[in-house]
Amino acid sequence: MNGVPDCRHVRLAVGADPGHLSPEVEAHIAGCAECRRFRDETLALDGRLRAALELPLPEFRRRAAPVRRFALAASVVLALLVAGGAWLFRPASALAGEVVAHVQDEADSWNAREQMPAASVAQVLTTAGVEFDAHMPIVYAYPCPFRGRRIAHLVVQTSHGPLTVMLLPHVTVERREKFSEDGLNGVLLPAGTGGVAVLARGGTVEAAEADAMVSAVRWVK
Amino acid sequence: MNPPSGGTSAAAPFSRLLEMLRPDLLRFAFWLARDRSVAEDVVQETLIRAWKSKDELKDPAAARPWLFTIVRREHARLYERKRLPTVDVEEVEALGDPALASDGDAGLTDLRRAIMQLPDEYREPLVLQVLGGFTTAEIAGELKLTQAAVLTRLFRARNRLRVIYGLVPAEDVE
Repeated sequence: MNGVPDCRHVRLAVGADPGHLSPEVEAHIAGCAECRRFRDETLALDGRLRAALELPLPEFRRRAAPVRRFALAASVVLALLVAGGAWLFRPASALAGEVVAHVQDEADSWNAREQMPAASVAQVLTTAGVEFDAHMPIVYAYPCPFRGRRIAHLVVQTSHGPLTVMLLPHVTVERREKFSEDGLNGVLLPAGTGGVAVLARGGTVEAAEADAMVSAVRWVK
Repeated sequence: MNPPSGGTSAAAPFSRLLEMLRPDLLRFAFWLARDRSVAEDVVQETLIRAWKSKDELKDPAAARPWLFTIVRREHARLYERKRLPTVDVEEVEALGDPALASDGDAGLTDLRRAIMQLPDEYREPLVLQVLGGFTTAEIAGELKLTQAAVLTRLFRARNRLRVIYGLVPAEDVE
């Protein structure tokens, strides 16, 4: 397009990128009522377009998922966000914060009641590169993203309620650490080269139960 | 990757960046895939890949286009890997996905459905521009098109939406 653009080219420019018009196009619009109206309509449409594209995210999070194909990806970022905040200078608690944030983000997992088929659990464990044999019914299992890789996020039923177990092959836990946050009580435990987080909602995690979880873990990759 | 126990001080700014951009990544993935489950999966993979490649991001200001690019790549990879069927336009409309609904604003819901019905070649550059904040030159680079082709696609995308929006369309370009 050379020289003074005609109406057709002006409308092409406006329709393609109404927020960034060249001085030549602006000059044409200033002297052409029809193109000015076209520009104004397009800008108004773009405002609506922006609103339309900004979908309400709660609709994404509301998905019921007894057997979930996909989990929301907030675990990686939400957990680290928490860790990066007030606990930035308390590295001993940062991992606990990440774990709590992750579990809170998947709060539906606590509601699972039915034992999952062994094949489904096995698939999750394979994806996460871990073996786990706790001899307890697993009612929830999902390979969640956590610190840059998939980990096994499990809920096991015990005689006094559900426990969440997160198997963290890539996170070194130096020593046993209890934590309590947002109604969740838990413990981080060393497990070979990795770590295990065990959490209870409301109640507490018995030391023997936590140790049993660690004993049940074997990292395979 | 094996971060030290609980240590996240180096990762915290990056994670904050991801958290800030995650909503738009999810939206972008949805508009690409037109399927919430696929979008969520794509964003999961994107976050994992971004985390692993975070050293590649030298300038935090470039995080947005960088992550959008990863979303596009992961979206393509997912379809390639799982051989997912492409989403049929009629099926999309029939789904009546609640994510498209807007409380008390039927016009916005209609517009979302109209965007869903745009062909991929028009919808993708439009979403990159309006939601992603990409310039037309950046879109051209992203989609490996000439800038003129991008301008034409953007024009045609808006022109189609004008009709749905009750406006007179402009004369098309060759």
